[in-house]
Amino acid sequence: MDTLVASYGRPMFEKEHVEEDQLELYQPGPSLSLKFAMPPVAQPSAWLRAATDDHANPNCPIKIAHGTTTLAFRFQGGIIVATDSRATAGNWIASQTVKKVIEINSCLLGTMAGGAADCQYWLAYLGMQCRLHELRHKRRISVAAASKILANLVYSYKGMGLSMGTMCAGVTPSEGPALYYIDSDGTRLAGNMFCVGSGQTFAYGVLDAEYKYDLSVDEALALGSRSILAATHRDAYSGGFINLYHVKEEGWVKHGFNDTNPIFWKTKLEKGEFSNVTSELV
Amino acid sequence: MSSPFAINGGACVAMVGKDCVAIACDLRLGLQALTVSNNFPKIFSYGDVYLGLTGLATDVSTVSDLFRYKVNMYRLREERNIAPSTMANLVSSSLYERRFGPYFVSPVVAGIDQKSGKPFICGFDSIGCIDFAKDFIVSGTASDQLFGTCEGLWEPDLGPEDLFETISQALLNAVDRDALSGWGAHVYIIEKDKTTKRLLKGRQD
Amino acid sequence: MTMFSQNPLMNGPNYSFSQTPTMASGANKEHSFYPYTDNGGSTLAISGNDFMIMAGDTRSTSGYNINTRYSPKVFKIGGTTSSQDDATLVLSVVGFAADGHALKEKLDAIVKMYRYQHGKPMSVKACAQRLSTILYGKRFFPYYVTAILGGLDEDGKGAVYSYDPVGSYEREQCRAAGAAASLIMPFLDNQVNFKNQYIPGSGEGHALVERAKDPLPLVVVEALVKDAFDSAVERHIEVGDGLSMMLITKNGIEEKFLPLKKD
Repeated sequence: MDTLVASYGRPMFEKEHVEEDQLELYQPGPSLSLKFAMPPVAQPSAWLRAATDDHANPNCPIKIAHGTTTLAFRFQGGIIVATDSRATAGNWIASQTVKKVIEINSCLLGTMAGGAADCQYWLAYLGMQCRLHELRHKRRISVAAASKILANLVYSYKGMGLSMGTMCAGVTPSEGPALYYIDSDGTRLAGNMFCVGSGQTFAYGVLDAEYKYDLSVDEALALGSRSILAATHRDAYSGGFINLYHVKEEGWVKHGFNDTNPIFWKTKLEKGEFSNVTSELV
Repeated sequence: MSSPFAINGGACVAMVGKDCVAIACDLRLGLQALTVSNNFPKIFSYGDVYLGLTGLATDVSTVSDLFRYKVNMYRLREERNIAPSTMANLVSSSLYERRFGPYFVSPVVAGIDQKSGKPFICGFDSIGCIDFAKDFIVSGTASDQLFGTCEGLWEPDLGPEDLFETISQALLNAVDRDALSGWGAHVYIIEKDKTTKRLLKGRQD
Repeated sequence: MTMFSQNPLMNGPNYSFSQTPTMASGANKEHSFYPYTDNGGSTLAISGNDFMIMAGDTRSTSGYNINTRYSPKVFKIGGTTSSQDDATLVLSVVGFAADGHALKEKLDAIVKMYRYQHGKPMSVKACAQRLSTILYGKRFFPYYVTAILGGLDEDGKGAVYSYDPVGSYEREQCRAAGAAASLIMPFLDNQVNFKNQYIPGSGEGHALVERAKDPLPLVVVEALVKDAFDSAVERHIEVGDGLSMMLITKNGIEEKFLPLKKD
């Protein structure tokens, strides 16, 4: 009886067949959903790889932006997050002004390496989940929990071709400064220092040499910036602007989005570094 | 594996002006993403003629040395400098000798014919097909970008100073959109009895 | 195969795409499901202080063939009627025309529904975010398009949002997309954002001062768009025939059509 009522007890107009596409139009606002269109083939992920993975297939028709240097490290004054701003599709520099630090909320930052769209979408989705957590539990989400939401999420899409290497940085009363690395394989690691992207080795080189937990805030900011600068110089797929953030107990503070070019020449001329760069004719 | 033309990266451009020509190249030598050197000029001088070579760095060195030998032999036999148009044919025939195992280079020749005083530029594919141009020649990993900037900035009958500004802007802005070239540039402005060489400060990322 | 990509005789004409995707190593088989065609063409958007211009050529190609000389890639979005007379947004799509058309229709329907439900037109900012989620909704079966969205923001300033095929987006001053993007973009860097320009006589060597990034007036931008396309037409075979332009100001959208070379 209940099923009969359920199937016939609705107003007439609701029985009309509504296409899923159309349904989307009636929804009140744009939502970050988990519903994705799939290609009509047996192996969607293999098909997708053939169409979009320029590493496996340099002639692939759809080139997704890659290439990056991002870093974050914990120190006595909180967490420093620094990135470059270049997006490349093959050897083509698609953009020099990408914002690779994503502000999830006033206390949580995410960084972007790998597929730009994957990072933008899922970190926005994470922001939504964090807000829902806040509303449901009447307190802010921990960085550990936030990073785990993301890790579990990307793990459920494992093998589907998502490409992201991201860091979640935040300070909460329960954890203090916390830093997590999450990638699209499903890896989730807590740590003091991470560099992610094609220029990661160059950044690690500078960072490892100068890093101490007791760094002052100014020293830490300078080190983050200098590490990115080194990576932009040697890695062809990194460059553009240096995006610097400092995460403190009160929330994060932005420390500029500055062109590497004047910073590079200042570093060279005033400190005598980068002596490999010629300034005279031979 | 990526194309041998794009392993080391690099860009070169030549332009015609009024009674002058200009040729410019970037300075990068890389191994895919890694920048190994930022002082690897790709323009070589052979008397009155200048040869720009982009492509596989080992072939750039080999081919530049090969032409140094060939041009020196020419000078000893003929007791005069090689003319740009002669150089063009020498480059073409030398490349075609390697028709089935080519050097992975895209050469550019620029110079002023000392007899007629006429500017001369031309480009080649890797097996020696000559592209005679009245305006400009581009080559290297930033060739698409260079086509865009040159086509937008170049105009006929530019004097030496204006030609320098034009070729510099064309090259710098082109390589700034290519991951594999840049890191500084060399520019040669060639007039009938004077050549000026300049180093450009370019982005180092 | 790419090994000889610049060797014309070993590889045939060095052309940017082949109809079927060939794999990097010869061992793999060709795919039987290949739903995309590259229809070529290029688009370009530049924003100014109180205007923005969106332009696109009207040639549609497949391979070396020209399908038609007039198939616009720039569309008005979200007017009250199908004539789109009172639209405030423009969308340009380049890549696979069928996907582009489907995307335009979908976005237009959504923006129209928004107007109907909220009683006001959608802001560019909101539309930009929505377009991103639409594109990402097909993350695993992408729209083969590079989209650019244009309009005026809440302060009346020109806004350009550019996208990759799966929805990563960014607000920019200017953007070229499509086949000749690599030709147009460095020219725009130089002429719109004054990249690599220094003020003459402001110093010697390293002391030279960079030219400030002043916003350009409409007439200058319009001339730049024409120049950019004339250059692209000259050197790219997939670009040409006609140029359709939309100028967005506070007075609405003005449409312009200019001929380009048809060879």
